[in-house]
Amino acid sequence: MGPVLRAALLAGLFACSVALAQPLADKGRYLAAAADCVACHTAENGRPFAGGRPFQTPFGTLYSTNITPDKKTGIGNFSLGDFRATMHRGKGPHGNLYPAMPYTSYYLVRDDDIEALYRYFMQLPPVENRPPANRLVFPANLRFGLGFWNWLYFDPDRPLPDGKGRSAQWRRGNYLVNALGHCGECHTPRNFAQAMQFDRRFAGNVLEGWDAVDIRPQSLRRQGWDREQLRQLLTSGSSERGTLFGEMFRVMQHSLRHLSDEDIDAVITFLLDESEALPGKRGDVRQATDRYGGGRADYVAYCAGCHGRAGAGITLAFAPGMDDNAAIRALNPHNAIAVILRGLPAQRLDRTRARAGMPSFHRELDDARIAELVNFMRGAWGSGGAGVTAEDVARIRHRLDKEGYLGSNHGN
Amino acid sequence: MAGLSVSMEINGRAVGPMEVPEYTSMLDFLQEYLNLTGTKLGCGIGVCRACEVIVEGDDGELRTLRTCINNVGRFNGKKITTVEGHAQRNADGDIESLSPVQEAFLRHFSFQCGWCTPGFVNAATVLIEQLKKSPVAKDEVEATIDGALGKHICRCTGYVRYFHAVRDVIESTPGLLKEGD
Repeated sequence: MGPVLRAALLAGLFACSVALAQPLADKGRYLAAAADCVACHTAENGRPFAGGRPFQTPFGTLYSTNITPDKKTGIGNFSLGDFRATMHRGKGPHGNLYPAMPYTSYYLVRDDDIEALYRYFMQLPPVENRPPANRLVFPANLRFGLGFWNWLYFDPDRPLPDGKGRSAQWRRGNYLVNALGHCGECHTPRNFAQAMQFDRRFAGNVLEGWDAVDIRPQSLRRQGWDREQLRQLLTSGSSERGTLFGEMFRVMQHSLRHLSDEDIDAVITFLLDESEALPGKRGDVRQATDRYGGGRADYVAYCAGCHGRAGAGITLAFAPGMDDNAAIRALNPHNAIAVILRGLPAQRLDRTRARAGMPSFHRELDDARIAELVNFMRGAWGSGGAGVTAEDVARIRHRLDKEGYLGSNHGN
Repeated sequence: MAGLSVSMEINGRAVGPMEVPEYTSMLDFLQEYLNLTGTKLGCGIGVCRACEVIVEGDDGELRTLRTCINNVGRFNGKKITTVEGHAQRNADGDIESLSPVQEAFLRHFSFQCGWCTPGFVNAATVLIEQLKKSPVAKDEVEATIDGALGKHICRCTGYVRYFHAVRDVIESTPGLLKEGD
């Protein structure tokens, strides 16, 4: 073979592999958004994917790693096999990962998707950044213990929830929610060793002082969600049923709103069981007013300026209504109580979609008044029983205070 | 619409008891029922803080509250100071002298159109009162002013002049800075 011909052949091969690599990396970019990698692997005001975001766990503070292809501080030396082992088994080249990295969900990500993710990350600009060392208490600071944890709690043979007899759309949603989206990592309750309790998958879990709500189909139905409202919520953070806040707002910002319409449809089909009728029973304003007159008076004085007369809201861009609000209809009153105590920070999605935030009331409203206010709203506009006691509020207040969530907001 | 009987103390004078519709905002109550028009409606959604007034808590502590997003019921039974309540007045009610905060704002030409000024006067006054109880170190003055007034929006003079004015009051009033600084 002449040298010219050989060069031409090589160039052709190279062009081919580049042409193949780019669509794969593009697919990887989309999958990385679906898997919300950027949220955890980016520090506040840090470079994307360069790591260093702290995570408070019951065992100490963990810092996310640099997943740019920097050879010194990132994953630049990872082979595809290393990357797959990290994603599927939590086994990095330097030892076991802490299960804050959701390999406990990513083990379900298909091999072809793993490869696309790998190609995407390897073509990112490398960023040299060494995140701080983890600060964990003994014995959690010993990585070899993680092998034992995995043996006890991580079953890489556990399949996706059964899709037998389900539509292709449902099965796609199943994959997006359980594997890439790793929704269960927040929404599934954990045991004392911080492992997900799969018999209570998606039953809700309090994290960072908020209830990552129960998203099982019957619960979403109970809260009155329909497809369109859920689509609005997941793609914009706002809907007539309420808004996203805490970490879930960032999940929407970094991940969900970048999904294709078909994939959002699939997620909704998986989450909602539309065979179940929407709940007919509504709250009773008159009865709630009779029982919780003080709560109604406080609603008028403190809340109605933004949340509207009779809980109807003023305009969604300002504040959501409380009538039929999902947090008011939810079985667990945690978020209704926590939001009153700690308020909400301002949110900004883009130039035309921003929210002013909500004042906190923990300095001015005592436990009994908050209980009565929440009972009034749940009785008037929810679907559940009221039944919140001052002790319930005190317990949540104590926990939020201990974890440092009742600090800076002045509530004025 | 259901009525609400309210009574409170505003700028040292008893108001009420009087009956108002329960959904009346505090801002409307001041303007429409009491003719206290110094408190201004800015954004109407609790962002700009032009509408802030001073409320004395049950513990005697002063703090500011927004009157556009809070209805009159939240102020029922409380002691309130609006921008009309800062100056010294003589027996006829005529103004004899402005407060140190108001004087400093004028001296530094802190504001132009003046719409946001009532909120700034009230919040700066609360800050000065707080510093009388717990003085601040000299190198923390900037951060302290920012913490107290940083959320207030002014669209005319660009924040620098009110900043200078408040720092001026803090530095020239004895006892607001920590000893030895």
